[in-house]
Amino acid sequence: MQRNYITMALLQIAEPGKSTTAHQHRLAAGIDLGTTNSLVATVRSGKVSTLPDSAGRHLLPSVVHYGEKQIHVGQAAHQYSINDPLNTIVSVKRFMGRGLEDISTGDEHYSYEFADTERAVPRFKTRAGDVSAIEVSAEILKVLKQRAEETLGGELSGAVITVPAYFDDAQRQATKDAARLAGIKVLRLLNEPTAAAVAYGLDTGNDGVIAVYDLGGGTFDISILRLNKGVFEVLATGGDSSLGGDDFDYAIAQWILEQSKTSDRDDPAIKRLVMQQARQAKEALAETDTVDIKIDTEICHWQGILSREILEELLTPLVKKTLTSCRRALRDAAIEKQDIMEVVMVGGSTRTLLVREMVAGFFECELLTGIDPDKVVASGAALQADVLVGNKPDDQMLLLDVIPLSLGIETMGGLVEKIIHRNTAIPVAKAQEFTTYKDGQTAMAIHVLQGERELVSDNRSLARFELRGFPPQVAGAARIRVTFQVDADGLLIVSAREENSGVEARIDVKPSYGLTDTEIESMLRESIEHAEDDMQSRLLREQQVEADRVLEALDSALAVDGDQLLSAQEKSQIAAARQVLLEAKSSSDTNRIKQAIAELEATCEAYVARRMNTSIKTAMQGHSIDEYAADSKSKAETEES
Amino acid sequence: MSKDNILASNFFELFELPVSYDVDLTKLQQQYMKLQKLLHPDRFANSSDQQKRLSMQQTSWVNEAQATLKDPVLRAVYLLKLNGIDINLENETTMDAGFLMQQLELRERLEQVRKNFNNTEDDPLAVLESIAKELKNSMNEMMQGFAESYAAGQFGNAREWIRKLQFMKKATNEVNALAANIEDELMN
Repeated sequence: MQRNYITMALLQIAEPGKSTTAHQHRLAAGIDLGTTNSLVATVRSGKVSTLPDSAGRHLLPSVVHYGEKQIHVGQAAHQYSINDPLNTIVSVKRFMGRGLEDISTGDEHYSYEFADTERAVPRFKTRAGDVSAIEVSAEILKVLKQRAEETLGGELSGAVITVPAYFDDAQRQATKDAARLAGIKVLRLLNEPTAAAVAYGLDTGNDGVIAVYDLGGGTFDISILRLNKGVFEVLATGGDSSLGGDDFDYAIAQWILEQSKTSDRDDPAIKRLVMQQARQAKEALAETDTVDIKIDTEICHWQGILSREILEELLTPLVKKTLTSCRRALRDAAIEKQDIMEVVMVGGSTRTLLVREMVAGFFECELLTGIDPDKVVASGAALQADVLVGNKPDDQMLLLDVIPLSLGIETMGGLVEKIIHRNTAIPVAKAQEFTTYKDGQTAMAIHVLQGERELVSDNRSLARFELRGFPPQVAGAARIRVTFQVDADGLLIVSAREENSGVEARIDVKPSYGLTDTEIESMLRESIEHAEDDMQSRLLREQQVEADRVLEALDSALAVDGDQLLSAQEKSQIAAARQVLLEAKSSSDTNRIKQAIAELEATCEAYVARRMNTSIKTAMQGHSIDEYAADSKSKAETEES
Repeated sequence: MSKDNILASNFFELFELPVSYDVDLTKLQQQYMKLQKLLHPDRFANSSDQQKRLSMQQTSWVNEAQATLKDPVLRAVYLLKLNGIDINLENETTMDAGFLMQQLELRERLEQVRKNFNNTEDDPLAVLESIAKELKNSMNEMMQGFAESYAAGQFGNAREWIRKLQFMKKATNEVNALAANIEDELMN
């Protein structure tokens, strides 16, 4: 079932003419940054595998402990979870891109102290200072990056990091920021369900429609995908970004606490202990019919039996919630249940028998459970990373995603006007025109929201954009065209210009639940100072790597079609700009390299556009689109008359 | 299509389809995939930022083109736009009294289903399904009406068909949303 990469690699060698420069194998990794556990995987000699630590353990518990002297991550942090709960952050993924009010309302089963802050981004109070979820996640990513680099014996060119398909913009941005803090170049934020489908090699099998049911520790995702000749096209996605195996554990823990009649239910240590017991009981019940539970601490003594029957009673409402999302996703995709060929099961919580039974009962088709549900996502991400980094130039695999939640802006009366609807294929851009309501107005604010509801207060606030610097005009005369661009990672980019004057508006972004660029940069600076590294030399190295990338891309392009597409004059202009960059690169002046890259790119602008259009024309069955366009235009004119 | 910029081509040309209301959806999908394979940002993960931006703009354009041509209402609006008639669907409304009356009746039927789904002998989902089927049939007739008016160059009539189609599209969405809500209620 798994993708056969050995054959692909041979094909590559057999057809050297296809790739123009002798291709250097780049190191890339796939990272599953999970709620409960995280993993890193890579493709080596054509085979994908997850990487173990020195003790042979593949799963890195997503736990970070801030100790007296040092930070522990993973198993090493786990042991502090009960004795030092306030300084040990577990399930940090649940806090990514979230605000304090989300935590205080919904998730009362967390036992942390949060710093008092004006900012909406919650900060855990630890003995190492106040830290945001982004920084905690970066600690986990650093360990995985190091593991990959030690195993592979070199620096990573980049990584694909997976996120729940249902993650909103703030949660995706937080993930990307964490990677940046950890010094990882993100090739793509990939949706977990898509990654799982890739790992199962479904692009090489039969074409058709499949569902991916992904129940992890803290999130639930359902995606409906259409497979067609190597392309994975997400038709619809849905889910619940705060429902997962943790909630199973919580339900069981509540039951234990009720049975034990302990008076001290709010004690953080008791809560953690009972959660651990609950989890062990849940896992045991995948194998047996009953399990003994024993709590024996100074303030709580209890012993009892949990049967599978009671477990199922506790969990059924939660699993039903996931099936509601499945029905909704099918509707959004305009797909009937009978059209689903198979269901890929992902996430540790799909080991629970009740989940398998209820999902099979709902879809009435085969469940794919062959690959370890904990490892499947990281493996898929590694396969995609290998393609993206350029190690598989002839691979036809392509992953097309959709935006999981609608994007809109606040209008009069606290209502939301949707600009981009959920399940629209990405990348996508939508422009909207605004005007001023006061004479001489030179700035305006736009409040961007994500969600499906009508009222601003019922949706998630993403950011407030302040547009400034457009020329003063009488009220209603200005025409400010705002473009909402969502990239392939599902991240929003806003740009604005005043149409009458052509002035680009300056945009100040105030993320509602994220960090600003300035904050991230100062964190980076701090973390580097702590590591006693030199900020300047790191920035220089980044620019040098970027320069190499630009040069390599240009050279291989020129070798293919430089002679056909460029005039002699254009060629010499590009050669000159290339030379400037080559010289700048060997200097140690970061800004000079940066500028030379920008200049070379500007010189190549027309060439780049021409190349892409040429490749489109070639692909469109050989005949020129120009001819065709002229043809169909005259036809339209005939119809008019 | 302008020589250096696919962003300047019209949606039909982009997919090598004739400019017509009748669209070969299979071919649309094939051409869409072909363009995605060429242009998607993932194909440029190692390229310059400039090339990445260009690829993002182009795939955004291709996605918009596909979404427009796939949808019977958006496709109709786009055809009129190519003929110099700009339609803002928000501000369009039909004055056909008979049609509006039918719409009111439909809304009342939906309201009945909404109110009574728990205490009726009829299967509410089956009722909604048959309403959806009726809507689909009359939409097909209206699409036919648009196609004929458009082909005859009667853009005024064509515009009236769009107004009605838009009503029907909204009604279909409402039926689906109601069915989804009822289904959730019944299951939980």
